Amino acid sequence: MARPTLLVADDDPIFVHSVAAVLRTRYHVRTVANGTEALAAVEDDPPDLVILDVMMDHMSEGFDVARTLRSNDATALIPIIILTGVDRVYNLRMEVDESWVPADRYLEKPISPEVLMEMVGELVGPGEAKPGP
Amino acid sequence: MTEPTGTRNHSQGAAGSGTRHRGGSKRDRFSYIFAWELHERLLWFCKLRWLAAAGLALASVLGPYFSMPSTYPSLAVVAALVAIYNLIFVHVLRERLGPEKDYAALRGLAILQMVTDLAALFFTVHFTGGCASPVLPFVVFHMAIGTIMIETRIMYALAFAVSGAAASLFTLEHLGVLAQIPTVAGGQSTVGSCVLSMAMLVVLVFGVVYLTHSVTGRFKERNIELHNTTTELQHALEEQEQLERRKSHYMRISAHQLRSPLGTIKTSIQVLIDGYLDPGSPDGHRLLEGTAARVDSLLAIVNDLLELAKMREGRARAPWAREVSVNQILADIFDAVDPYAREANVELVPHFINEGAAVLDWAVPPDLVYAFENLIHNAIKYSKPGGGTVTVALGIDRTHAMVVVADNGIGIPAALQEDVFLEFVRAPNAKHVQAEGTGLGLSIVREAAQMHGGKVSLESVEGLGTTVTVVLPLHHTPPEIIDR
Repeated sequence: MARPTLLVADDDPIFVHSVAAVLRTRYHVRTVANGTEALAAVEDDPPDLVILDVMMDHMSEGFDVARTLRSNDATALIPIIILTGVDRVYNLRMEVDESWVPADRYLEKPISPEVLMEMVGELVGPGEAKPGP
Repeated sequence: MTEPTGTRNHSQGAAGSGTRHRGGSKRDRFSYIFAWELHERLLWFCKLRWLAAAGLALASVLGPYFSMPSTYPSLAVVAALVAIYNLIFVHVLRERLGPEKDYAALRGLAILQMVTDLAALFFTVHFTGGCASPVLPFVVFHMAIGTIMIETRIMYALAFAVSGAAASLFTLEHLGVLAQIPTVAGGQSTVGSCVLSMAMLVVLVFGVVYLTHSVTGRFKERNIELHNTTTELQHALEEQEQLERRKSHYMRISAHQLRSPLGTIKTSIQVLIDGYLDPGSPDGHRLLEGTAARVDSLLAIVNDLLELAKMREGRARAPWAREVSVNQILADIFDAVDPYAREANVELVPHFINEGAAVLDWAVPPDLVYAFENLIHNAIKYSKPGGGTVTVALGIDRTHAMVVVADNGIGIPAALQEDVFLEFVRAPNAKHVQAEGTGLGLSIVREAAQMHGGKVSLESVEGLGTTVTVVLPLHHTPPEIIDR
């Protein structure tokens, strides 16, 4: 089984580095730093899953990218995980709901590597361990 | 920058309206407060008048059945007239002259009502026995009510008119010009009793105006004071509520700004703990370095927040906060940031426009250093990749020092040029050039400038550069320092 490809979009390079290190154990990972790059990367080579931070250059950039992907037939079925660093009160309004945030799951920072792997596994399968050196 | 300007406008507006009530003439304040009340009282008076008209009509028709002389149709005509003009007053009060109308118009109507009522009353007095009429005390009652409703000087004028009208009526009756109608009480009045009644009426009319005024005048004054105090308290409460909302908003934003790097730090540490990366490997080491940098950025935010808080608390550091040279402060900062400028390949150009030193009567040097350092540091940081020029100019005139920091760097998008003075606002192009930044720098600069009685302005063209101008008065000392 091929390793599914995941696209991670977040403007925090340290966070992206951490998340990529976790996900690369079982998946192929590409990283971008903002919404524009994310849309270009999806168009260039559609991934199996997109992980989007909400606040990048703009307040709701992650949401905007998610909505654009959902409204395009070619990308509408790609599963989306939304990452957010905002407080819990705001998160309550973000319960996964197509009318509000077109995402399959959302995850609050700081993230647990275990929870992230479990969530990605549910959406694209368990992936494949990296062949040993 | 928007926020304080709005706040300033708000407080000026509040003070202005407060002044309007405090400083306005007595009559203005009276009008402002009592227009609504006068409207209500006039309507209540109209209701009483219906009763009076009904009473007159009944007395006219039923009087003979109770051993009284017939007053039909004379009193019935008076009753009809009262009912007609009352209908007009009610219509005017309800349809034409609502309480939102000006006090002068309502007062005019009140005087008109008084005059017509007194006229109707004198007709009734005439038809019910002249100076022996049992209706005569109602004149006094009218004067008391009138003094509560309208100004005393008008009531004194009416008291003269009433006395004159009564004297004329009784004289004309006794001279036989007007028919003497026997009193409903049955007795026949003599000249002596009539003069006595007349004198009593005059004393009572003036006395009641004086006494009513002396009692209600105090209530009116208290009412005005109460109204002014309530208005001031309402403004203070509104300002306090606005301040609380701003504080709460500021705390939420601050907490979020601290939470964001903490989230990254916790995630990174968890990745290392769970063994996804070996801390000894190049990737693991990179993550540790990045995490340490994030801790540094957290500390920078905390330091900036503390600095901002200290400035907002109006820190007054005496005695060394006197006669501070801006030239010296800028020279010290130049020495401090020079290595950083060289590293960034930025040429730092000092430009002293006038000779002489800009000496501020009062200043807090560490706060000015913090602010100017922030400004110059930002100019270097956001120079274009590969280098640029940062000019720091100092201009002095007799009253002000002006520090201008100009760079030819990345600039600030037009839409954000006001917002960048708000806490934690960073332009996207700034984040691209420098991921790290507290977003508090310009807030601190503005706070420091305001604390020293000055102001800050910004001009920028995205892609061409930014010029920030700080103007500080030379002779500004905060009032709390002067009071010491």
